[in-house]
Amino acid sequence: MSDRVLILPLWIRLWHWSNAVLMIVLTITGISLHFADPESTWLVPFEISARVHIVAGLALAILYGFFVIANAWSGNWWQYVPKPQGWRDRVGKQMRFYFRGIFHGEPHPYPPTPQANFNSLQQLVYWIVMYLFMPILVVTGLIFTWPDLAPRRVFGMDGLVSVAVIHYLAGLVIVLFMLSHIYLATTGERVGSLVRMMITGWHEHEKR
Amino acid sequence: MRLAGSVAGVAAISVTGVTASAQAPDSTTRGAMPADPATVAMVRQWNGECVACHTEQALLFPPKAGMDLDRLADALMDPFAFNQSQHGGMACKTFHGKGFQDYPHDKQAGDAILGCSECHAKEAFRIQSQLDRSVHARNLSDRFSCTSCHDPHVDRVARDLADARQVVAQDNGKCLECHNSDERFAELGVSLPEARTRPDIDTIHEWLPNTQRHWQAVRCIECHTPASTHSTIAVNHQILDAEQAERNCTVCHSRDSSLNLRLYRWQTEREASELGFLNSAILGDSYVIGATRNVYLDQLAYWLVGLLLAALALHGGLRIIGALVRKRKGS
Ligand code: HEC
Ligand code: HEC
Ligand code: HEC
Ligand code: HEC
Ligand code: HEC
Ligand code: HEC
Repeated sequence: MSDRVLILPLWIRLWHWSNAVLMIVLTITGISLHFADPESTWLVPFEISARVHIVAGLALAILYGFFVIANAWSGNWWQYVPKPQGWRDRVGKQMRFYFRGIFHGEPHPYPPTPQANFNSLQQLVYWIVMYLFMPILVVTGLIFTWPDLAPRRVFGMDGLVSVAVIHYLAGLVIVLFMLSHIYLATTGERVGSLVRMMITGWHEHEKR
Repeated sequence: MRLAGSVAGVAAISVTGVTASAQAPDSTTRGAMPADPATVAMVRQWNGECVACHTEQALLFPPKAGMDLDRLADALMDPFAFNQSQHGGMACKTFHGKGFQDYPHDKQAGDAILGCSECHAKEAFRIQSQLDRSVHARNLSDRFSCTSCHDPHVDRVARDLADARQVVAQDNGKCLECHNSDERFAELGVSLPEARTRPDIDTIHEWLPNTQRHWQAVRCIECHTPASTHSTIAVNHQILDAEQAERNCTVCHSRDSSLNLRLYRWQTEREASELGFLNSAILGDSYVIGATRNVYLDQLAYWLVGLLLAALALHGGLRIIGALVRKRKGS
């Protein structure tokens, strides 16, 4: 049989899935706004997108605030901090796994444990995404929602232009992250095991 | 619109038998601002005589005793605004006629005032037929004239205003003067079949997010008029009602934004595509979602997302092959 460890507390799982839903909604409506086209048949209509994007964006901002506070409160933030000692080796080993080992069915070099549920590569990427790009995205998004907060002029253009461009680029980074993240979620011991862990909170080391 | 208000009733009655020859728009001076400084100086001097009495200053220190100051207070003008306006090169007496030259003014002087169509015959003919199909013609046709919206003493030509924001402020000011004022609205409202209270403009347009920002960045007529049908007249004067007004956001918020053909009509002629932004003429004033996106950054996104998806598909494919090979070996 399998031996199970509880890795993810309920609040993290709830946060993760509501975050995921909001991100997907924001991506779809964001694309519909940015590439708005009256002739398009597949984009969400502009008026609806504008409304939904603002509501979902505010929800995401609140959720992000919750995430930062809950992380600090529970000590979970430590999970995100890359640990300097032997860091390169661990990232290297993880990369080697993704580029070679995984094709040969080798076991994960750093299976998740309650003490360290991220491997070093995850730590590095998640840290950058969650504590660098997310705040940029959230802050520019809030300014976009209340454009009067934007600077009057930047580089001889309306101040909102630079806010919009930064929001767009930060969104692009997050979308790229999200696509990779969804794909990597299939790289557990079984295709579905990481997703199952994200739902139940339990990591199962299955006997082969 | 103080003075214009008093002109309004009269302007509608087109005056015949008055010579408008001196400053007709097709004369060499084109009326707006004569090219040669001597003519400008002469016109300024003539107008200075009227200005001496028709400003706030004269109300406080009347240049002549026994003037009817209450009525004068309704007939003031701002000479600085006038000199910059589209009619700034014109002599007051050309427009108002000889009867106003001396004070006290001739009792019949008002009858000699020129209608807009005296000089703008071609435009006025077309515009009038558009106004007849306007919402305002339904119940207000006898109380609505050119001067309900146009103040010939201050209006400036859109194409000469460098800044689209100024055009917006000027043109929305025309509509909001009534639609944001219970007093003005009620003044006209007396002729409505049933008394109507003024609907609040922001409440009517609640479905438009950032409503106030829109009022500062686009004109009411962008949505409340059809596209212009005459190449020489930039603005269609047929004001559309609630049913017909434009509600489709992508008319402006898209690559082929109609803002280019309307509000930014004059700016786009000066446009140089800047740093890969679409509709870059707008960027100085606004970022308009969907309309002012950057094609280089869009290409960057297509490429990055495309390459990533290709890489992930390749990786997934190799994993499947690896698993199949292992399975065959194992069995
Ligand atoms: C000496 C002062 C004075 C001068 C100069 C003067 N006005 Fe007047 N004007 C008045 C006063 C006072 C009134 C108020 C009505 C009245 O008493 O006739 C008035 C009224 C008017 C009106 C409004 C009439 C109405 O029915 O409400 C117009 C239009 C007008 N003037 C045009 C002119 C023009 C054009 C000139 C220059 C050619 C001019 N005025 C020069 C004092 C002057
Ligand atoms: C005495 C002749 C005359 C009268 C009367 C007159 N205008 Fe004008 N108007 C002109 C001239 C001349 C110009 C400048 C045209 C130009 O610059 O090409 C002008 C310019 C304009 C413009 C700018 C449009 C453009 O294409 O340049 C508008 C709008 C306008 N007038 C409205 C009115 C209105 C409304 C009235 C009636 C209250 C009126 N005018 C009465 C002579 C007149
Ligand atoms: C409901 C308000 C309204 C009324 C009534 C109205 N106008 Fe206008 N008119 C406007 C607005 C708004 C513009 C746009 C000004 C701009 O941005 O150039 C305009 C523009 C114009 C222009 C300039 C068009 C161009 O090519 O740029 C002329 C000329 C003009 N009007 C003449 C008239 C005449 C003549 C009448 C009366 C028969 C009249 N208008 C009545 C609101 C009105
Ligand atoms: C002189 C005052 C005045 C000005 C200027 C004015 N309006 Fe109006 N407007 C009114 C009044 C009064 C009504 C109500 C008419 C009615 O109910 O028949 C009205 C009605 C309307 C309606 C129709 C509302 C409905 O019941 O469907 C629209 C749309 C409108 N105006 C838009 C505009 C726009 C756009 C401008 C500027 C270009 C403008 N108005 C300028 C006074 C004005
Ligand atoms: C983005 C396009 C847009 C702009 C800009 C816009 N409107 Fe409207 N307006 C509409 C539409 C669409 C309706 C019909 C709304 C409805 O039926 O709920 C409307 C309705 C109205 C009505 C009718 C109210 C009624 O009770 O029937 C008035 C009056 C009006 N607008 C005036 C204005 C004025 C004045 C401005 C400029 C300050 C303006 N609009 C700018 C699109 C616009
Ligand atoms: C007449 C053209 C026009 C129409 C129609 C229009 N908009 Fe806008 N919109 C603009 C302009 C111009 C701005 C830029 C305002 C500024 O400078 O802040 C803007 C700004 C915005 C903004 C603020 C963010 C930004 O891009 O600056 C939002 C959100 C928005 N519009 C949503 C909508 C929605 C939703 C609709 C349809 C219900 C709509 N707009 C219809 C012209 C339009």
